[in-house]
Amino acid sequence: MAGNNGGGPWGGSDNSDDGQKTNEPVGSGGGGQKIPEIEDIVKKGQEQLRVLMGGKSGKTGGSGGQNGSGGISKGSLGLVALGAVALWLFTSLYSVKPEEQSVELFLGEFSSIGNPGLNFAPWPFVSKEVIPVTREQTEDIGLGGRGDSGLMLTTDENIVDIDFQVVWNINDPAKFLFNLAEPRSTIRAVSESAMREVIARSELAPILNRDRQIIADTAQLLIQETMNEYDSGVNIVRLNLDKADPPLEVIDSFREVQAAEQERDKLERQADAYAYTVLAGARGQASMLLEQAEGYRAMVVNGAEGEASRFSAVLAEYTKAPEVTRKRLYIEAMEGIYGSMNKIIVDDTGGGGASNIVPYLPLNELMNKSNNKSGESN
Amino acid sequence: MSKSLLISVFAGGLILILLSSVFIIDERQKGLVLQFGQIKAVKEDPGLAFKIPFIQEIVRYDDRILSLDTVPTEVTPSDDRRLVVDAFARYRILDVVQFRQAVGVGGLRTAEDRLESILNPVIREVLGSEGVTSNTILSADRAELMSRITEQARQKALPLGLEVIDVRLKQTNLPEQNLDATFSRMRAERDREAADEIARGKEAAQRLRAQADRTVVELVSEATKQSEIVRGEADAQRNAIFAKAYGMDPEFFEFYRSINAYGTALSGDSTTMVVRPDSEFFNYLKSDSGS
Repeated sequence: MAGNNGGGPWGGSDNSDDGQKTNEPVGSGGGGQKIPEIEDIVKKGQEQLRVLMGGKSGKTGGSGGQNGSGGISKGSLGLVALGAVALWLFTSLYSVKPEEQSVELFLGEFSSIGNPGLNFAPWPFVSKEVIPVTREQTEDIGLGGRGDSGLMLTTDENIVDIDFQVVWNINDPAKFLFNLAEPRSTIRAVSESAMREVIARSELAPILNRDRQIIADTAQLLIQETMNEYDSGVNIVRLNLDKADPPLEVIDSFREVQAAEQERDKLERQADAYAYTVLAGARGQASMLLEQAEGYRAMVVNGAEGEASRFSAVLAEYTKAPEVTRKRLYIEAMEGIYGSMNKIIVDDTGGGGASNIVPYLPLNELMNKSNNKSGESN
Repeated sequence: MSKSLLISVFAGGLILILLSSVFIIDERQKGLVLQFGQIKAVKEDPGLAFKIPFIQEIVRYDDRILSLDTVPTEVTPSDDRRLVVDAFARYRILDVVQFRQAVGVGGLRTAEDRLESILNPVIREVLGSEGVTSNTILSADRAELMSRITEQARQKALPLGLEVIDVRLKQTNLPEQNLDATFSRMRAERDREAADEIARGKEAAQRLRAQADRTVVELVSEATKQSEIVRGEADAQRNAIFAKAYGMDPEFFEFYRSINAYGTALSGDSTTMVVRPDSEFFNYLKSDSGS
């Protein structure tokens, strides 16, 4: 490269030398008739050129012919040099975006790290690599890529389907650049290995629910440790455990277990409901029985007290006039009794031979009669 | 003219020679200086270096950590269960001279072949060694197994000029044909769990109902007992009351209670009485003087 650049000016000066040398012989040849006039003009033109230093070299060159070619070369030399400097600056200056850093190598040796903004790496001695540092990059693992179904074996020899995403960025661009040949595939492989290692020492059930976060954290730590061992300059920002499910082939059975859990719950609730109902009924019945008993007590005691007090009252009056009261009570009672009942009064003690008469008593008829009466009254 | 041409050609040639005698080794590389195939110098540090132009050539090797993934292979741990295992290795070229001598002009491609043919037997050997069962592989001992594999691979790869930094197992899965069996076992386990859940649900429900029924009987019988006690007390009280009252004049009580009882017992139309009119009640039925 450097040779080419140096070759440019060399080649240019060679050409101008040729032009000056051919100038004199050609003067007698091609444009011979107009020489005097032209020579004057050329001299003026050359003086002007020296002042202007190539400002109007093209125009004078065009009108001045071969003699002006010396001027052209000097002017274009300046332009070329200017262009070369511009080109050199262009290749040497570069910008680094906010999320990037650059690594500069002086003759292949690590020299410095360039921060965001305009950076200068003088070509060809310093080369540079611009790397996105803080930008988070992701690797999806287990999404069913080549040979990567995400099925992993747990320690209790069950199979679990794991999909996860590793988010990483670069914390040391120099290490990242110099230490790892294939960073992406390394991160992928390390992540998969770490996750499988973590899964291989866990049991299936906790993976599915309780230990998800623990597993993600452990795997992230393991990935980071391994990447640090490689001195890779990679920082694992986080690990998203997207899916940790039983494989499709058995997921229905897992759902059935859930349904069974619900069923169990339902059965218990129903039994609870039954218990609540009958217990409340029993409590009601129990208090009913107790209340009834209390009621009975009240009824019986009150009745007895009433009766006793009535007897006492009657007795008090009776002791004042026993004979009369006794008779009166008896007659009143008999009055009530005889008054309401069917009665047949048979006087077999009367005169004559009536004592020999056996009275005919049609008891059946009398019974029927009284029964009919009571039946009607009912 | 010929003079300047000569100068320019000479200068051009000089530059060419200068350029071909200078070389840069990048931070990511190691270089070997070869002279007609003979190793003349090793350039391990990055930077500018010199060689004899045209005679010596530079071979560059990657100084970064390289990766190698092995193809999945079936291994048989000592419990005779087969597992499909693949691994990846991370390695770097440690000694370029040894490396060049070992792999020749084939470079990394040959090195990968060699390394893989070292790795596979090592993996088989470690995972199949005494005391390593599939349960060991599927446990926390996995890390220890991996470091054993790494250590053995490191020893065997050293003659290649390679330093094996790390060998890690990726998948340790069941062979395809065992998957179905595992799946059906997992299903059976779940079914068992589901059946267990439902059975336990029924058990609990039955227990709850029985407990409830028992409590009902206990509550009701207790209440019945209490009520009988209350009724008994009531009856006793009643008797006491009567005894106290009637005890004041038993003879009158007998009379009084009897006539009251006749009144209730003989009431109504249901009774027909055939009487001789000679009881006290009829004393005056036949005459005003009584009999």
